[in-house]
Amino acid sequence: MPVNYQQVLQQIREMGQQATQIEEQAQKLRAEAWRLFDQYACELDTLQQLVELAAAENPHLRCALPCQECLNAGFAALPIDSSYTLLAADGSQINPDRHASVEFGAINVGAIRVHPGQGRPPEEVVRSQMLFYHQLFTSNGGFLTDDVVALMRDIAERRELISLARQENSNGSDLIVTLTDGTLEPFREAKGQLPELEKLFETYLEVLRELAGLQVATAGYVDKPRSHLVINLLELIVLQKEGRLKQAGKDHPFLLIDDAYLFERILEPGQRSAVMAIHSPAVQSFTGELSLHFFYLNVGRPNHPYLSRVEIPQWVAASPRLLNLLHAALLSQSRMMGVRAYPYVLHRAHEIAVVGYSEREQLENMIIAELRRQGVPVGERSYKQVAKDASYS
Amino acid sequence: MTAIEIGRLLRASTTACVVGCRVSQANVPAFGGLVRIPLDAAYSIFGLIYDIRIEDDGLVRQLVTADNVPNDVILDNRVNRNVPVEVSVLHVGYEQHGRIFHLLPPRPPLSLDLLYTCRPEESRAFTGAGRFGYFRHILRAADLPVGELLAAHLRLANADHAEQGNHDWASAAVQELITLLRDDYPTLMTVLGALADTEAW
Repeated sequence: MPVNYQQVLQQIREMGQQATQIEEQAQKLRAEAWRLFDQYACELDTLQQLVELAAAENPHLRCALPCQECLNAGFAALPIDSSYTLLAADGSQINPDRHASVEFGAINVGAIRVHPGQGRPPEEVVRSQMLFYHQLFTSNGGFLTDDVVALMRDIAERRELISLARQENSNGSDLIVTLTDGTLEPFREAKGQLPELEKLFETYLEVLRELAGLQVATAGYVDKPRSHLVINLLELIVLQKEGRLKQAGKDHPFLLIDDAYLFERILEPGQRSAVMAIHSPAVQSFTGELSLHFFYLNVGRPNHPYLSRVEIPQWVAASPRLLNLLHAALLSQSRMMGVRAYPYVLHRAHEIAVVGYSEREQLENMIIAELRRQGVPVGERSYKQVAKDASYS
Repeated sequence: MTAIEIGRLLRASTTACVVGCRVSQANVPAFGGLVRIPLDAAYSIFGLIYDIRIEDDGLVRQLVTADNVPNDVILDNRVNRNVPVEVSVLHVGYEQHGRIFHLLPPRPPLSLDLLYTCRPEESRAFTGAGRFGYFRHILRAADLPVGELLAAHLRLANADHAEQGNHDWASAAVQELITLLRDDYPTLMTVLGALADTEAW
């Protein structure tokens, strides 16, 4: 059955009636947020103390923590004067499905190595790992959850990057950029009760430490960010003025707006924002050189700003050379894609990694064929799945 | 001169086939060029390249909008990305146990069979065998640019024959075309017009 269009239409009309009013309200909030942003942009000590106070009230607080640069400053990339290597990885996974004929999982990592300006074709790497039998179960005896498989994929992506970075390092390359799509934080919520997640998270941190050891300019690239980290910081100012700092992270006076509004106004095409740290309970495990930072980057054109948010670890944030290398490399990569700027290598890594439905079917058939060859009985799809497949085929 | 591998077969029928190759190889085949698909030691199919198609995809369409496409990206798209150049080949005959036939092949090539450019001696052997019987396969292909295809083919084949001092092959070929097209004046004029534009005789 399709959706009930009569009901939906009514709800859309009601939304439309509210839209003008909400937009007016958002404009007022944007104006107030902008005023505070402008006023406090260079009051870094004040803001840092405020975050500390608010965090004492609410340990779950998530916001930007200013570092050394004024929040309303924009920084252009300097030209890169030496050759560098660009590595990007992306992953795709097949989550175990109890409705399938055979139970299996797969993690596919695609990576690409580019030596910009050296006239060499980029190199592709694909690494596929199948998950069978006991690998499909958690220590609680349940099927692997999507979270666990996703974290395994994230780790596999970074491991591939490390392996490629090591090769480059041993070939004498000392300027290396590694990129992955999305945040460096694997998850924002509490890691839950699964020991697997805890263990995998520790592995993830070890992998990042190894990247730190290689002094690689590593980053997670978030396209079209809708984060509120700086807005959340400005909310603390409002709450403090109203004597309601206890409500930090719970009350959101600027709920309808996000950081993009602020940074689209101040960043010229190609400029990055100030580097800020992420204050969040979920990133407390990222300590020392791993502590997570970010900046906004305007990869758009004059009069058409388009922001991305770039997450970096502290060792990159603290190195002007690595930071500039990353900034310049991201700009160069994004501009290759024409008016819809997005790093070319990340798109290519995705293309290499992605596992489609037909490939899933192909893998399933290969497993069934192997089991039959071995004389092992093969299960059947759940009747629920059979009915669904019959309906939609 | 050795034969150059062009690509591998994507699909085929009795009359024609399509071969996929990477873009970096695209400078090898030429429109009107004679190619050979060896199926086993004693059996090869001969064909004429009548179309070379370069497909695009979403990424290529986006890249062309960029102000400057770096060499790395061009190489990546030509070497790594899975967008083959499609070369269409019209079957014009075959060779079996050393004998050349200007007939359609008894069976078409199969998926992933290799396709090679013909060496000059192979070209001379095929085009010099019999009485230009393979022309009828070209003339029958109404959807193709017959005049242009014949002009391109005659120019390439004539160069192979001239290399061995045979300067009569081209005029014999044109005479045969005039005979075959004597009742089809529009096509004859198209073919002769295209041949007239070919300078290297």
